[in-house]
Parts: sequence; C-alpha cells; structure tokens
Amino acid sequence: MAIFNLKKREIECKVVFYGPGRGGKTTNLEYIFKSFKKQVAGEMVSINTEGDRTLFFDFLPMGLGKIRGCDVRVQLYTVPGQVKYSSTRKLVLRGVDGIIFVADSLEVRREKNMLSLKDLQSNLKEYGKSIFKLPLVLQYNKRDLADQGIPIMTTEQMAKDLNRQLKVPAFPASAVKGEGVGVTLKECVKLTLKKLQKEFQWAK
Amino acid sequence: MKKSVVLFGNLSFLGIGDVMQLLGANASTGVLRVISRYAPEPAFIYFVKGNPVNAVNGPQQGLDALYTLFGWQEGEYEFLLEEVKAERVIRKSRMGIILEGLKMVDDGQIEVFGPSDTITRQVSSMYSSELGVDIPILKGPMLDYTYVVDEEDFFDGEIIVEEGKHGNWIWVILEGIVEINKDTKQGRVPILRVTDGSFIGSLASFLMQGNIRTASAVAVGNVQLGVLDSQRLAQEYAKLTPGFRLFLSSLNNRLRQASEAATDLFAKADKTENELKGKQTLIAQGEKYDKLLKIIEGEAVLVRPTDKGKIILARLGKEDFIGTLPFLEMGHEPGNASIVVSKNFQTEPIDVDRLQDEHDQLSTTLKNIIDNVAGSISNTSLVACNYKQKRG
Repeated sequence: MAIFNLKKREIECKVVFYGPGRGGKTTNLEYIFKSFKKQVAGEMVSINTEGDRTLFFDFLPMGLGKIRGCDVRVQLYTVPGQVKYSSTRKLVLRGVDGIIFVADSLEVRREKNMLSLKDLQSNLKEYGKSIFKLPLVLQYNKRDLADQGIPIMTTEQMAKDLNRQLKVPAFPASAVKGEGVGVTLKECVKLTLKKLQKEFQWAK
Repeated sequence: MKKSVVLFGNLSFLGIGDVMQLLGANASTGVLRVISRYAPEPAFIYFVKGNPVNAVNGPQQGLDALYTLFGWQEGEYEFLLEEVKAERVIRKSRMGIILEGLKMVDDGQIEVFGPSDTITRQVSSMYSSELGVDIPILKGPMLDYTYVVDEEDFFDGEIIVEEGKHGNWIWVILEGIVEINKDTKQGRVPILRVTDGSFIGSLASFLMQGNIRTASAVAVGNVQLGVLDSQRLAQEYAKLTPGFRLFLSSLNNRLRQASEAATDLFAKADKTENELKGKQTLIAQGEKYDKLLKIIEGEAVLVRPTDKGKIILARLGKEDFIGTLPFLEMGHEPGNASIVVSKNFQTEPIDVDRLQDEHDQLSTTLKNIIDNVAGSISNTSLVACNYKQKRG
C-alpha cells in the first residue's frame, strides 16, 4: 500500500529486507547508504535490536521513471529477526510494497533460511498479503566465504530450497564487498514500481 | 486561526507510531492529544511540519514522555491544527523515534497498558500457596491520585479487612501485596492476591446492600494503602441510572459467587452434577455471542470445564446480566465459560450501547474499580479451577 502524497506530488513505497538473523540484511542496507549517497534522502535510522540492528532510510530511485508524474520515494527497512520484536515487525511489514529476502549461503544456515522464509509467508498472511503476489527478490548472500574455504551451498541448491515455488529473480551477492547489492535492490524497486504502475493504471 | 480538531481516532486501530507517520507524511503542525482510561491525565505531542518537537505525559517531558506513549495500546487521540509554541526539545528523527519506541515496547522497557483481553495480562505474577495451588497476583490500572484522601500503612500479616465485620471503606493499594481470603471450616482459604493499583473493598459499599465484608484482606509484607474519597465516589454513584446500578450490583454478585465457588471447591463441596440436571445450555463456551441479556425469570449457572470435570463458577438469578460485555473482560461467558439455564428461564435484552456510553463517561477511578472487579472475577474463577484440579 504505497502512500500517495498529494502535497509533495510524491509516491512513497516500502521495501523491506527480510531474512535470517546475521544473514547480511544490515550489511546490504549500510552498503546502499554509503554507495548511493546521492539517492539517499535524510539520515539513516539505526536501532539496536537484540541480535541484529534495525535500519531505516529513504531512498530515491533514479532513472526508473515516475508514476503518473509523481516522484517516487522508497523507504528501505530491515526487519528485526527476533520473535519478540512483534511491534516493530508489524509497523515495518504493514503496507509493505516489495521484499528482498537475504538468504545466508553458509551451509549451516540452510534450515534457518527456510524457516525465515516460512516465517515471512505467515507474517505477510497476517496482513492479508500473499508471498506469491508481492514483488519479491532473493539474494544469496556471503558468496565470498567460499574463498576462505568455509563450506557454502551452491546457488542451485539454494534455489531448490527457497525458490522452487516462488520462481522470483535471485542474485548471488557479497554484501560486505558490495557485490550484488545494487542489482538486487534495483530489481526489487523495478518490480515494485511496475506493480504500482499497474495498480494506478487500474485506478484511472 | 481558531483551534480545530482535524483528526480523531482510536489507538487500538491506529497506534501512536502510525499516527506519527501519517502526520509526518502530511507535514502537519499542531497538537496531538491522547487520552486513555488507564492514564490519569491526557498526554500531548507537539508537531511542527510533521516532526515531533516536544511531548508531555504527566510529569515526563520531551523524548521520554513520547516513548511512554508507545505503551498506550488503548485510548483515543485527536489532532488539533494550531500554531505550536512549545520549545523544540526533541531533535531525533521521526522514524528513529517510532522504531526506537516500538523496540522499547518489545524489549519490555516501556510499560504497556491496554485492553485486558487475556486473564494473564492483568496478573503481575503467580504465587504458589502452601497447598501447591497457584494464586494469581492481580495488578490494578493506573490510579488517579486526586481520589486518594489519606494514606495508611499496614505491616506484614496485619488484617486490613475482616470477613463478617461491618465497614465500607475502599482502599487502593499504593504499594505491596494483599491476600484476599475467606474463612472455611478448614481454615482460611486464599482466593486471590492483589497488588499495586488494585482496590480493597467492594462495589457493595455503594450498593446499599449492607456493608458486611464478604472476605478478609491481609497484608503480605508491608503494604501502603490509599484511602479513597468515598463521598466523591458515592456522589458519582448516586448520579448513575438505575440500569447501570443494576449492572454494578450484578457484577458485584458475580465476584461474590466466584469467591464462593473457590471456597466450595477448596472444601470439595462440589454439587455441579446435581445442579446441572434438567438444565439446558444457552451459551456454549467459545461460541460467538454478542448479546447482553437481563434475567427476568429462572436461573442460570456459569459452567467451565476442567481436567477433573465441570465446575460451577457462579449462580445467577433475577436481575443479573448474562452475555457479552464489550467494554469489560471478566473471563467468563462466552469465551471462557458456558451458561446453562433452567426450564423457566426468561430474559430481556439490555441496551449495550447505552450501558457502554454511561461506562465511558465515568470518572477514571470508578472505571478502574469496575475494571478491577472484572479482573478479580476472572482471576478468582481461575483459582476456583486450580482448586478443583488440585483437590479433585
């Protein structure tokens, strides 16, 4: 549910980074904040939640066009992984327009990935949304760990685990190095805007 | 420009965080006034161009005051469009405040008060009695100090109120724990423990049904009590409509019944089987039921199943109400008990909206007392079940 701000002639939508704890959600967002400075509006809000930090900032996508003559502002959030942060999760997920699921390539995190995706599905359901209908992009993060000899899953295996039913775009990434971060975000914002464009078309 | 309310709403629908986002997106300037029946005073948040610049909640100011409001999950707000002269003391970004506030709620750093939709929400902890039966410790709502006219201290073990004696004082617990118990042939039986914000003494004090105490109250550890302005409460009571007084009287009856059920089950004097004979179920536990009825003939019993069989929590008769109370949670029918009625049972509907309107207009203290009675009913019933489970 994007917000149409008539005063500013701006459409505000929400993209949320979801995924298992310590999977690299915040690293993704920090990299975006640092590397796309020109497209960031305002400061980054960082909340120390147990296990993971919760981040938020406004992002102005460029070169992706306007919707019906309005500028687009994307609110980027990470969701705290811990179950107890239900109030935060509720606020973040309510009215979400697009999701980037950051999966951890570490072999030992295989189950955590699947549980988190399942959790996302049930959380979305609570807000009346279907994981199959919402713009969603997967990211297989921490590919760089292979270089250090740490056992990681192949992207094929991860696709089998996580993307067999969803069939959404997926990208390998190394958020600490910044690889794959931009392309993941761009794809998700593109899908989100496309969806919004379609919705606003109907409203015509 | 004249002050005007431009937005009005309910916190249970759109919380503080959401309202702040809305006002932020609109870059609004004005004052958000928030009221809750759990808070003695309204709170205020001042916005300039969509950003909160200051807030007041009781003695607290600024960011601290603003954070406390994230714990208000029930209440109402109105936004007044006006020039804001308040000093800018909050400099943190709007989203930063919202995310931090919600995080503090989830971390338990902010006290949350709101609908008591579950029995446990009102209970601060459980106390395991000598008999190995869990007795809940019931916490009361936030209290309005303007109703406290005097303070009294009681020491550990001291009897505050004695069953069977006369008296109509009502106290509120400022600090400490008080055990409510009843006399039986087998000694004193604890039926509930109450702590900060709970009331001692009953609605019966106003109801002119005689002022004999129906249970004893004993200090557990040192206790500080506030004596309530009974004259002021009595005056308020006198202004109530007959319908509302009848409702209070029936509510009080329920509490007495629930206490008796607990003592009976403790004494193993369970007559459930016999009493249910020849009666039929009117409201089944868990059924969706939204009516409120007044009994005009016959009798109704309130039944709850336990692992050791069904138990009767209350016996209701002429002029008692049964059904769903949208503004009060007693932990009884329809969610947590069934209603079984006699053959000659007859009722007439009660206008729930009118009852609720009158309830909403009561003073915070009277509302708190009623809320506390409902909490006592639900928790005493829980104790009754525990006695049944333990003692068969």
